[in-house]
Amino acid sequence: MPLTGPQIAQINLFGMLDQQVMEETVREDLVRPTDLPAPPKDAIRIVQACSRPGVDSRDLARLVANDPVLTAELLRISNSAYFGLVSQVKSVSRAVTVLGNRALRNLVLCISMRDALRSDAIPGFNIDVYWEDALRRAVSARILAELARLDPEECFTAGLLQDFGLLVLLFLNPDKVEHWDRLSESTPEERRDIEVDLFHSTHDEVGLTLAHSWDLPMDLAYAMGYHHETPPEDTEYQTRQLCRVATCADWMASVYRCADKRSAIQAVRNLLAENFDASAEHSDYLLQQVAESVAEAATAMGLRIGEQATFDQVLREANLRLAEENLSYQELTWRLEQALGERDRYAEELNRELDLAREVQQSLLPDAAVRLPGITGLNLSAKAVSGDFFDYYRVGEHKLAFCLADVSGKGMNAALLMAKTASLFRCLGKGIHDPGKLLAMINREIFETSVRGMFVTMLAGVVDQASGEVTLASAGHLPALHMGCAALIDEYPAKAPPLGISPDSLFPNETFDLQGGCLYLYTDGLLEARMDDGQRLERDGLIRVLKEYASVALSERPRAITDAVVGTDGVLEDDLTLMIIEGKR
Amino acid sequence: MTFPVEDKQGFSVVILNGEVDLNNSPDARKVILTCLKKMKHVMVDLSNVEYIDSSGVASLVEGFQYARTNNLEFGLIGVSEAAMSVLRLARLDQVFKIYASLEDRLENGS
Repeated sequence: MPLTGPQIAQINLFGMLDQQVMEETVREDLVRPTDLPAPPKDAIRIVQACSRPGVDSRDLARLVANDPVLTAELLRISNSAYFGLVSQVKSVSRAVTVLGNRALRNLVLCISMRDALRSDAIPGFNIDVYWEDALRRAVSARILAELARLDPEECFTAGLLQDFGLLVLLFLNPDKVEHWDRLSESTPEERRDIEVDLFHSTHDEVGLTLAHSWDLPMDLAYAMGYHHETPPEDTEYQTRQLCRVATCADWMASVYRCADKRSAIQAVRNLLAENFDASAEHSDYLLQQVAESVAEAATAMGLRIGEQATFDQVLREANLRLAEENLSYQELTWRLEQALGERDRYAEELNRELDLAREVQQSLLPDAAVRLPGITGLNLSAKAVSGDFFDYYRVGEHKLAFCLADVSGKGMNAALLMAKTASLFRCLGKGIHDPGKLLAMINREIFETSVRGMFVTMLAGVVDQASGEVTLASAGHLPALHMGCAALIDEYPAKAPPLGISPDSLFPNETFDLQGGCLYLYTDGLLEARMDDGQRLERDGLIRVLKEYASVALSERPRAITDAVVGTDGVLEDDLTLMIIEGKR
Repeated sequence: MTFPVEDKQGFSVVILNGEVDLNNSPDARKVILTCLKKMKHVMVDLSNVEYIDSSGVASLVEGFQYARTNNLEFGLIGVSEAAMSVLRLARLDQVFKIYASLEDRLENGS
């Protein structure tokens, strides 16, 4: 069994496997760190020697000659048409002299990385298809070298190595190779999102980690690690340029591979304009060069690739030129009318659905026609449907159960959770008359199915209309206000968090006497309502308004208060709900 | 709009700023969840948050729940007064681990 995604995510930034992972790996006799795909030690020695200032070319030649397979490949590739040197090289020492240290380093890296994994190393996966993809990036990067004023071979090497982290992720998670098509057909950005879901890590993170662990030169390590995100601020200009090349090369290669070619071509145009001031025509010309050079580069690198599409074929598939050149003005107008008609039909359909949803939702609120004495409420929606609700019903001769709640967010998803919570209150509340216990029960139900962190703040209570005694529990809701005729008597802030967050939350009850005053429950839409002067009402403003309208008849009061605070334009930023409970009757 | 992330001392620090509301809370959600899916411990810096609505709080709650399920650490650092008053009113200060700063978390442990 290979390392899992979370384990690979623990590979630390210094390139060593996390101690715990290493121990577990060795103990369980799983994949040992040395089994990770990596260039051979001899190759790393050459790469490091090449970067050493003042290194003797004879020493370099001796190091290379130690590895006969590497030597043969080095000579073959050096003499290939793609990397064509001015003169033929027939010996290692001549190759070292003609190539120079940096080019030698790059070629050695390309060869050793290509051979780092056997073709059958990942069961069920043909590594050739990965290398074909990598080769396109390498060729694209080499083509960009002139624009970026960088060494072409260095760009080629960066392009070839930059996504090696993905190969390692697949090697460590062979059960995920079935997702290769999805990975290869997505754009570079989409692919990273898929990688996070599949592997809990991304190829650039793993690439940077591996590059550090192999002690690769900083410029190549950074090209592997920072072709999706910008490198650290203190990065040298040349390295930063190489990262830019790698970013653009990624998108250029994706034009030949991803499903949405139209977007990829546009993304390349934007990137090349932004980074290298290239025109759209020049961008397309460079893309054409990629297709023309891949086969030659594959021969040079000894890689097997399939038949390559030309840029014209890609363009035809993207339908870009066809759309631009072949559509007449009349056709465009006709298509636009069709599209607008279709949009209007969808809008009508959506509106019908929303009307139905609104109707169903209104039916969950207490029936305005059947008024109960001593209690009233009003709900105004910012959108077609609301995330707020209130409810009340009789639970005895003198007792009423009531609640008011606000679902996080707005719109349809909030309305659906509202409907569920309202149903739970009605259903469970018939048997549980203790508000705190009722909230605990509803909380567990909501928690079990909560999605996207959505939660519900809720006040639930029971009022005895004969004695004026109220028992109240709050799940993260705004403080209930106990108002007398002329002043605030008390307020009851929440003592427990909202519903849906933790399964074991407790909701303590508070019991108090309404003393002939009124209890006001409300949602934040009321506090945030903007007055005519543009200011939000907030708590003090609300208390002022409640005092002002205290003498209005109970049945008229919610409307009078909301009319006063919503402002003349009637536009609501948030759903707004207000409920008033009178004391002893 | 996307919110920046800085890797510091074994944590991914997600920096939320300005008004976190229905318009940009999906961005906040994506940044937080991406870090957690990479199995990183997350601290959300709220020091520059001027306003946070319930959809913004929901993105924090989702991060908290994902972290709890996957045995990761999730906390809030440098919470601004505007954000703290929202969390306090809803008693979410009982739910989230809240620290003055990342240094405070490192010195005083989880």
